[in-house]
Amino acid sequence: MDAYFLPIIITGAFAGIGIGLLGVFIVGMRMPFIGSCISHAAMVGAVYASLWNLSPTAGALLLSMSASAGAAFLPPSRRNLDANTGQAVLLAFMMGLVFLAVGLEQNSRSEMLSLLWGNVLFADWGTAGITGGLTIVLAAFTALFNQELKAILFSRSLAEATGPYAKAVYFCFLCLCGLILAVTLKAVGGLLIFSLLVCPAAAAYQICRGFRAVILTSMLFGLLSTTVGFALSYSLNLPTGACTVLVSAGIFLLTSLFQRLAQ
Amino acid sequence: MSEPMITPCTNLTDILIRRHRHVLLEIERLTLPAGSFTGLIGPNGAGKTTFLKLCCGLIQPNRGTVYFENQRISSRPFWRIAHYRRSIGYIPQQAEYNAHLPFTLREVVAMGRRGRKGLTASLDRSDYEITDSWLADMGLYDRRNQTFRSLSGGQQQKALIARAMVGQPRFLLLDEPGSNLDPTWKKQLREILDRLYAAYPLTILLISHELDLIPDSCRRLILLDQGRILTEGSRRQVLRSDLARRLYGDRPDTGREA
Repeated sequence: MDAYFLPIIITGAFAGIGIGLLGVFIVGMRMPFIGSCISHAAMVGAVYASLWNLSPTAGALLLSMSASAGAAFLPPSRRNLDANTGQAVLLAFMMGLVFLAVGLEQNSRSEMLSLLWGNVLFADWGTAGITGGLTIVLAAFTALFNQELKAILFSRSLAEATGPYAKAVYFCFLCLCGLILAVTLKAVGGLLIFSLLVCPAAAAYQICRGFRAVILTSMLFGLLSTTVGFALSYSLNLPTGACTVLVSAGIFLLTSLFQRLAQ
Repeated sequence: MSEPMITPCTNLTDILIRRHRHVLLEIERLTLPAGSFTGLIGPNGAGKTTFLKLCCGLIQPNRGTVYFENQRISSRPFWRIAHYRRSIGYIPQQAEYNAHLPFTLREVVAMGRRGRKGLTASLDRSDYEITDSWLADMGLYDRRNQTFRSLSGGQQQKALIARAMVGQPRFLLLDEPGSNLDPTWKKQLREILDRLYAAYPLTILLISHELDLIPDSCRRLILLDQGRILTEGSRRQVLRSDLARRLYGDRPDTGREA
């Protein structure tokens, strides 16, 4: 195997596993609005940091962490308030900000467009190390606070009413979510990372009966989506985000078909 | 003559909750005595769920103070009211929980034990023994490995009561537990609440807009409308009030199935 290809595959593998695991909670809690908000905030941060010649990852981190902290303080009863309308308005607003930045860019737009569509060239050994480290931290976090996270997943208001630490665990989880999305954003692309958050987990929920099986299957689907997507992108010279998301959407369609046939 | 001493479970003083200039709840003073069973009734939009969420510490008042066993719990950071959280058993409305998830019934009920454990401690054998005994008590032990979503609405309510009780609460709060249940299940729910109240040292607050869900052991009713307490007292006193008659008919207490 080409040595240049190795960090790409390792970054893809860790990003897929990490985002697959995050997706189980984002999809399970029925809060796509919050997932969408964090991932798109990361994209806006990265694009404007790039416009002002700053580190895109730092910009993505700043905005995604701010969005995570804001979302953590949104009361449970309001998290789904007008979710569809809110998501549409937010998406339009973020898109407006992003394309404004693209229009304002006077020099080369290639790096900025890479931030939107994803680029495997961003996946160097440094990115692989950070993504791997964060994925391990996320896995350890979910294992350590397993009971608390399951209770929050079942009902956030019930978990907060009867659990002394539910609020703190939820806050930390969203911050980890913001961190992982910001770090993997450059490789996967800001426009499509949200789909990667949703598709593997939604596919796993369709075909698995137990919660542990959902977690393992979502991580596996995430791993497949990114490694196959990154490999396709690298070998065919296509946008990474598009390849990754098409693979994950394909997995979702296949599981839907499987579920329908099984019934 | 001095008034008899009442040991309070929860005290509300000078409460005001407002959203967008609209008053959701305004209560000058209210005490839920320890060991009492109180029913909170009223039409939709009366502020019943807001009241309950205030008692749970899920929302903070714009003005006023909530006390639990004489300790202030409103407007305090979460680590200062951990003891209160451990004392609560809460059964939310159906819209508040994600019944679609692939959790087994045993997993859902065992979640109620986590407040009794340390933050990172996992549940051990004794936790699952308590869980199983409550599942058996509710007649659900044989279904313990079924998914929660595969249960009927009545069985889910029983499971949520078991989930609340495994945490050994002192204050049990139920938010419209009988909505969408047929009369047979409502009767079972009433019997369960009567039995729990008789057997355990509980203070119970039951919210319902349906009178046929209020068990016999619930001796005190509060009638709420437009965020304000209209009347409170014994079941007979409250149900004789004009508003109760308007809301529930001339003979509101006879609508219950035998």
